[in-house]
Amino acid sequence: MSTTRHHINRQRRRRIRDREARPAAFTRAPESAGSRPRTRDTAVPVSPDAPPPSASSAPSSSRSSSSSPSPSTPQSGTAADGERATTRTRPRRPTGLVALCALTVLLGGFAGWAHAQAEAARDEPARRNTALTDLARTSEIKGQTAKAVDRLFSYDHTDPAASGKAAKELLTGKAVGQHSDLLADVRERADEQKAVITTTVTESAVERIDGDRARVLVYADQSSVGTAGEADGKEGAARDEGVYAGAMLAVDVVHRDGRWLVSGIDTFGR
Amino acid sequence: MQHARAGVRAHAVHVLAGHRARPLPALVLVLALVAGGFAVWAGQDWYRAAHDDRAAYAVQRDEALAAGEQAVQNLNTLDHQDLNRGLDLWESSTTGELREQLVSGRADFAEQVKKAKTVTSARVLSGAVTELDDRAGRARVLIALRVTVKASGGAKTEKDSRMLGELTRAGGQWRLSALGQAPVGGAPAG
Repeated sequence: MSTTRHHINRQRRRRIRDREARPAAFTRAPESAGSRPRTRDTAVPVSPDAPPPSASSAPSSSRSSSSSPSPSTPQSGTAADGERATTRTRPRRPTGLVALCALTVLLGGFAGWAHAQAEAARDEPARRNTALTDLARTSEIKGQTAKAVDRLFSYDHTDPAASGKAAKELLTGKAVGQHSDLLADVRERADEQKAVITTTVTESAVERIDGDRARVLVYADQSSVGTAGEADGKEGAARDEGVYAGAMLAVDVVHRDGRWLVSGIDTFGR
Repeated sequence: MQHARAGVRAHAVHVLAGHRARPLPALVLVLALVAGGFAVWAGQDWYRAAHDDRAAYAVQRDEALAAGEQAVQNLNTLDHQDLNRGLDLWESSTTGELREQLVSGRADFAEQVKKAKTVTSARVLSGAVTELDDRAGRARVLIALRVTVKASGGAKTEKDSRMLGELTRAGGQWRLSALGQAPVGGAPAG
């Protein structure tokens, strides 16, 4: 775009306008004055000495040409260019500014999209489950759950309060009821036989860790050692009756106050 | 005269606008930089999330468990009326030594089952991976199983099994390479 041409055009127009100012001042209404000189510029021949067009013809011609500029006349084209040029020479910054705005929007949009993608990736079910991927937590859960199961399902008829204490310390929620149901018949049997029931977790694996909740599959052995024999006066170790039973259960645990508490015990309907 | 004055005024307005417009580009620039920062951060975050080793590990873990559960269920399912299909499934679920054992003992076993006329089905109650070596392609799983055996007379017996399985990855597929029951009353296994 040759800005020099537009500059010359504009200067020419201004000169013409100044010259016309006097006759136009009293013939035209102020609001139409703005549009008139511009359109007249287009009609005006290039020579600056050209006489101003008759004021009487101005209203109709100016309005029609301003509302619908005829493309056939080359002058109207230059006028439009001139108008655009005036708006363009003023800023040059807005183009940069607009580009910057667009860039901002693009970057912001990308940021939001990428963030959503990252969140979606993290929300995949496989990843939400941090069993084994978070080794420290997995072994912590395994260890604490095994200890909890050992304590919760062991019973010494001479110290019945111990199991109550364990229950209070290690259980929460619906596990409290489940545990007392499960332990009820173990207790009865143990009291009858004056037995010591010892539960030992032999295998455990964390199925799922989701934040502060986890589920652990536990294999445990329960041995029952009858101490009834001691009443016969037989010195020595308690008679190991060798009653072993294998159990399997799934334990739900929750992280609370830095510890993993048992919140559910699933014995698979047994 | 009015027009001339208007022109001057317009010029003055332009000049003023030029001065006043400066805070706007500055603001837009700051916004653009902030947006750029966010874009870089979010992009890195996304990249990290997408190329997380732990994600690949978690996927392997879940695949191993799914394959293990399916294989253990397969190996505890057999219909005496459809022996060949059942035993083919056993072989396709296993690899290594376990597969060799199954293949070599197939004929005898088939004979036994044919005589006993049993229908065995199994349901996985729960399963979990205890160990996973992603690179070596080995995994250990615990699978709690409920096996139902239907004798020829129609009597059903249910038995829970505490299975310990070992899986080996071969050709991108996890297959059972060892299977046994957790010993009861012995020293803790493993």
